[in-house]
Amino acid sequence: MKDILTRINNIATQKFGAEYSEARAQDLAKTMLTMKEGRVEAAKQGIENGVALRVLVNGAWGFASIGSLDEEVLADATSDACRMAKAAGLRLKAPIKLAKVKVVEDRVHIKASKNPSEVAMEEKIKTAAEINRSTLCYDKRIKSCTIDYLDVTGTSYFASSEGTWIEQDKLYVWARMAATASQKGIFASSREEIGSTAGFEVFDTETPVTVGTKLAKRAVEQLEAKTPKGGTFPVVLGPNVVGVFVHEAFGHLAEADLALAGGLLATSLGKKIGSDAVTFYDDGTLVGAFGSFKYDDEGVKTQKTLLVEDGVVKGLMQNRETAQKFNAEPTGNARAEDFRVEPIIRMRNTFMAPRDHTFEELVEDVKSGYYFKSFRGGQANLDGTFQVGIQEGYEIVNGEIGDPVRNASISGNTLETLFKIDAVGRDFELSPGRCGKGQTAFVCDGGPHIRVKEVIVGGSA
Amino acid sequence: MAALEKEQLLNVAQKAVETALARGAAEAEAYVYDGKATSIGIERGQITKNSKIVDRGLGVRVAVNKAIGFAYTNAMDRKTALEVTVLKAIGTARTSRPDPEWRGFPGKKPYSQVEDTFDRRIMELRSEDLVNTASVMLENAMEADKKVLAIEGGAGAAYQSVALANSNGVAAFDSGTIIECSLATVAKEGNTVTPVCFEFSSERSYKVDASWVGKEAARLAVSALKTKRIETKNTKLILTQFALQELLHYTLVNAVEADSVQRNQSPFKDKIGNKVASDAITIHDDGLLKGGLRTAVSDGEGSPRQKTLVIEKGVLRNYIYDNYSAKKEDKESTGNASRAGYLSTPSVEPTNFRIMPGNIAPDQLMSEMDEGLIIYYLQGAHSSNPVSGEFSVVATPAWKVEKGEIRHCSRGVMLAGNIFEVLRNVQLAADNERKIGELVSPWLLVENVRVIGK
Repeated sequence: MKDILTRINNIATQKFGAEYSEARAQDLAKTMLTMKEGRVEAAKQGIENGVALRVLVNGAWGFASIGSLDEEVLADATSDACRMAKAAGLRLKAPIKLAKVKVVEDRVHIKASKNPSEVAMEEKIKTAAEINRSTLCYDKRIKSCTIDYLDVTGTSYFASSEGTWIEQDKLYVWARMAATASQKGIFASSREEIGSTAGFEVFDTETPVTVGTKLAKRAVEQLEAKTPKGGTFPVVLGPNVVGVFVHEAFGHLAEADLALAGGLLATSLGKKIGSDAVTFYDDGTLVGAFGSFKYDDEGVKTQKTLLVEDGVVKGLMQNRETAQKFNAEPTGNARAEDFRVEPIIRMRNTFMAPRDHTFEELVEDVKSGYYFKSFRGGQANLDGTFQVGIQEGYEIVNGEIGDPVRNASISGNTLETLFKIDAVGRDFELSPGRCGKGQTAFVCDGGPHIRVKEVIVGGSA
Repeated sequence: MAALEKEQLLNVAQKAVETALARGAAEAEAYVYDGKATSIGIERGQITKNSKIVDRGLGVRVAVNKAIGFAYTNAMDRKTALEVTVLKAIGTARTSRPDPEWRGFPGKKPYSQVEDTFDRRIMELRSEDLVNTASVMLENAMEADKKVLAIEGGAGAAYQSVALANSNGVAAFDSGTIIECSLATVAKEGNTVTPVCFEFSSERSYKVDASWVGKEAARLAVSALKTKRIETKNTKLILTQFALQELLHYTLVNAVEADSVQRNQSPFKDKIGNKVASDAITIHDDGLLKGGLRTAVSDGEGSPRQKTLVIEKGVLRNYIYDNYSAKKEDKESTGNASRAGYLSTPSVEPTNFRIMPGNIAPDQLMSEMDEGLIIYYLQGAHSSNPVSGEFSVVATPAWKVEKGEIRHCSRGVMLAGNIFEVLRNVQLAADNERKIGELVSPWLLVENVRVIGK
């Protein structure tokens, strides 16, 4: 494989004068499973092999993706990519340049105690069936339970014209569980995700019974919940909601490509953008976490990147192209979903660092507000407007957790909100998830419990 | 790799079905996909890249003792690919669990003709032609106003063909083209940066309007510069197609899918014949719509695409079905089995979900509203409650209309309510129909929506 990919890069540089060429190949197997109310809709197995060729010619990118490892086919494809780069560059005003990186040669092995490729399909179906049973048996009002399971195993290869060669094992285990409940015309829904780069052993800690019970309990609880009052309130956010806030409201703004695209953080390095309690990291090194890996898809080693320290912006997530523009180092955040797409700047495991408050201390000073424990979805805009939908929330009345509320959401301006974080908890939790930015990336996000002095709460009342 | 011909693709599909039956499958289905896409990328005001993707694959679904197995591969140039994939599908079915309600793959039925889904000019486009389209769009945006920054976008053209065969004698072939261009913009003035505004054009024939996309993306961004706060109250809204697509996708669309109905996940269960929306709402799921983005002769499992009346003047008439959910009720599929290419099994989804237009022009609709908001982009619609229809979203931004004219925009405005109530409060549909993803719709004027200002 190394020889083929090296020869392909040579075609780009020698025959077409490319200033840079990379060939990224994958040889991956996937197992998927969908179960609805205990019925296996389909058990699936797939093979996805292919090569992504990316070349930089006269300062413009050419990219070709092809589902083949055949050298002749690849040679044609790289020639295409070079010609296309030339076409794209016809009206280029500012040619693209790449930051220099260390040349690497490495072979990355993954050793899982339960490699999903060695776990029988029967075992995977059994695990899903147990989650299904725990969910449906929890309460008669639970009406449906959908479980999607996915595992990915195999190897990826990276060769660049600069001499980097990386052979890296891939392993992902992921499951999404969704339940609905209804009673007297009221409908509620609840969902959970599991994700790991460690192995199938993730189900030994996230046991089917724990997951099913958590899923079902939340759905049923919402049936009794009231809708919140709309308006501005103090809120306590759980690690799961803090995570999506850090990811959506802040993290995307700290992606250097989006910062350059007119985002708020392009010129904020060294500036104070939040209260002293705010410290954020994006970390690709956490063992077993869903957003971890050793090398990114530009061949750059991953790292723990400090984004904000005590409210001051310390860094952005960079690929080689943006690092050159910012005069910064690439941070190992360039990720491609598969061989069909180009690497772009993506988060890994993004979180807020814990401080010293207990949960009780956070809640006790809130006279009238909300505790939002788990999110349903979140989204943000480059101008800093964010929205996070809540799937599990409670009133806080006179410093005590009160009745559950359903279908709440919070929104505001990210930077205004970061200054309103006045207390940060000492606990810490990460949640796995998938992030969409045209492509899907496996990530984690999280943090401690925090308190925000005020945020807009959207409700139907 | 040159595109494969119809006969080649059908041959692969039929051979996979025959192999599966010979190897012990009770029933079999094969889906073969061949696609090619070329695109031009714009970043920060200039064209910076040109990409090409060739994707080809085979997906085999089999039933063995009523248990379903599925396997796929994209390694089509390996000699053993077909055989290995078939054996994997059978092996997976054998380890899976029987589905007592499985009643087989679809049978053979005649297909209807479709129009304007293939354009040879798109297939023959060169990179330089697409660079041109992208340049025209970009120049129109930049020339419209100096304050506009084109942050990303591009132009793309794709060809894809699908062959499908099953052990009931179904043999379907479909090929089509698509061309599109899109531009995301912000406007900058002093320290003010607007939210990201967006416009696009997407067609099956070679007739995208790149200059309109550029001008419109610029106009929207500039008009978002002047902001004022608005108060919290119930108000009238005009929902444009962007907003409708976001809001309906997770709620109304889910509610009419037979799979959701059968699994108690739809508020429309047992509501056929009931009034679920205002008189202004008539919806067809039209899989045969001329030039529709989701138009095809066959659905994802070989059932013919058709036109299905979903809501008639506010009254719920039909759900949409794939083969499995239809047979459960002893009905016929409505041709709504959808597949995300060769690597997925079918599921129920709309084709062209068409809200029928009214006969009033958009500017008249604004006059009719007199005072209210016009909504393009929404944030957070995917966090709506899919079952109850409750939503709580942010408009990014909302434009304030007074005396029928846009006055200013307002940021951070939240809209909250229930989409099914919104549908009952639709007063009028405009005549400006457009296609956006699965949705084909005009602007809708809605009254009495809760708006939470800052």
